[in-house]
Amino acid sequence: MNHLVTAEAVSRSFPLDHSSVSALDDVNLRVSAGEFLAIAGPSGSGKTTLLNLIGCIDKPTSGRIVIDGEDATKLTSARTAALRRVKIGFVFQTFNLIPVFTASENVEFPLLVQGVSGSERRRKAAAALESVELSLRATYRPDLLSGGERQRVAVARAIVHRPALVLADEPTANLDTQNATQLVDLMRELNRNLGITFIFSTHDQRLLEHTPRIVRLCDGRVVSDTHAAAAETRLEGDCHEQVSAARFS
Amino acid sequence: MSKFLLLAFRNVFRNRRRTLMTLLVVGGGVAGLLLAGGYFAFMTDGLRENTIRNGLGHIQIFNAEHFKRDEVRVLDTGIDNWRQVAATISSTAHVNGVAPRIEFYGMVSNGQKSSVYMGSAVDPDAERSLGFTPHLLSGQDLDAKPGADVEALVGAGLAKSMNVKVGDGLTLLAVTSDGALNGIDVEVTGIVQTGVADLDARYLRIPLNAAQRLLQSDRVTNLVVGLDATANTDWVYGQLTPRLNGLPQQMEMKRWIDLATYYKQVRNLFDGIFLFMGVIVFFMVLMSSINTLLMSMFERTREIGTMLAMGTPYSWIVALFMTEAALLGLLGAAIGIVGGNLAAALLNVLNLRLPPPPGYTVSILFHVLYVPGIMAGASILVTLSLVLAAILPAVRASRIQITEALAHV
Repeated sequence: MNHLVTAEAVSRSFPLDHSSVSALDDVNLRVSAGEFLAIAGPSGSGKTTLLNLIGCIDKPTSGRIVIDGEDATKLTSARTAALRRVKIGFVFQTFNLIPVFTASENVEFPLLVQGVSGSERRRKAAAALESVELSLRATYRPDLLSGGERQRVAVARAIVHRPALVLADEPTANLDTQNATQLVDLMRELNRNLGITFIFSTHDQRLLEHTPRIVRLCDGRVVSDTHAAAAETRLEGDCHEQVSAARFS
Repeated sequence: MSKFLLLAFRNVFRNRRRTLMTLLVVGGGVAGLLLAGGYFAFMTDGLRENTIRNGLGHIQIFNAEHFKRDEVRVLDTGIDNWRQVAATISSTAHVNGVAPRIEFYGMVSNGQKSSVYMGSAVDPDAERSLGFTPHLLSGQDLDAKPGADVEALVGAGLAKSMNVKVGDGLTLLAVTSDGALNGIDVEVTGIVQTGVADLDARYLRIPLNAAQRLLQSDRVTNLVVGLDATANTDWVYGQLTPRLNGLPQQMEMKRWIDLATYYKQVRNLFDGIFLFMGVIVFFMVLMSSINTLLMSMFERTREIGTMLAMGTPYSWIVALFMTEAALLGLLGAAIGIVGGNLAAALLNVLNLRLPPPPGYTVSILFHVLYVPGIMAGASILVTLSLVLAAILPAVRASRIQITEALAHV
């Protein structure tokens, strides 16, 4: 079976003085097209590092990342940028909208970088904003939008060019519970309606209740990979015990 | 592309106070160059026209021998049959008139004291028709009526030295073309100022026919050609070349620029000063802008990381910073042009005068010309300076590690 994302024996360590810190250790992961997947784990478990590697904005120390059949670890900088441009959309914890652009112009940006014509950009941006129910805020700059609205603009920006994969790193961390739940529901809806694969990271247990697949990380290792049927199952014991259990299972 | 420019334009005004400070520095530099350049242009243009109107003319015609050897006897390299030559020249388009001249020297005496003079013999009517009027401090210009006493204009320094005033008499002595000593009596009709103190101490002007009588020769030293406009000099020069080649005596023409040594020196001096000022403004804008643009880059680190994560090519980031710098330069230049021209207008209205430079006796009007070339040049200079200042921030931005940039606080 062809997978949209394949991480094979991926490790990532960062130099620190004369030693190094391991952020990810021998991670294996396969994600099929159209999946809606959450990467869960406590702070420092390696969620962001794994998303950065899948998003091709970082390279593993060892192992390989394959995106839609292309080994991202072997691509040049320019080819990697092109891969991200076409196949990946990003949603960030702090929204990261361009403050001098309106909501609509922010959504247009990925299309601008792809060289799409002005009229086509405007049409697609309007449709994307419609899909996140923000058409009435199209001309607003980010500083005039609420946190929830900003993140929905960021989601619209991530899907406007119909990427195969959207990566959302702690997209709800700066939102209240209501907005956080609405955002996850929105991403799930877009996943179903548009067939775009979503991978998001979170450490908020409440958001995982309706997530069909949850990959749990602890200390840079995958300690569980549960699908819908087992989604309610909570792992017992603390994070470090789970790592030991995973290591010897 | 328009969206890209829009992004650059809006980024320029992201931090308005800092942008305003940069614009003031850039605008101030441009305004300074405009004022200095406009004043220098006024000075050089004025000096050029003054040099021409003070008697140099646009073109001068000599006997070719004049430049090949020194005169053995007075006027032996002068122009024969000069009326025929003048008639040939006068029929050419753009020629306003032709004035014959004799340059000579000798001794002048008031009966008690003698001094050396540098004489210039002219046809007063021809000179007046070309606008070559001497700057009279007192008395009146030469008249040269037939039968009247020989008139003379005397430089202010020479008049003071010889202790003469308008209406007094002087005796001029000179060596004739035959090598004999000759003399004539003249009446001082005016005291003149050439503007150059050293020349004023020796200057003397008499009518052409009086000088020919004194020197015992029908020749003239040269013919001075006045044109309707200085810009036509080269064209007339080209037209006259074949005409003069057809004359029995071989002639040689000199354009005003070939003879205006002092003008060229002044022009080179002003060009050098202006270039130096341009270099100062260039580095002033460069140094003050690098810091501003670097701060702008650091503040937008996360945003740059976001753009790169979305697949924006590195070249776009470089181009974005360059474009922002260029826009800043153009806006600053526009402010400088408006401010500089307003300041120039104000200074021109005030009609200020500067003290005479060393060796001169006349104060100088302070006036600033509007020179489109300087406006364009200064704008290009500051814009180029800002674009160069953007290289460092742009390159640093393009080398940002995306993951580090996204984590930037």
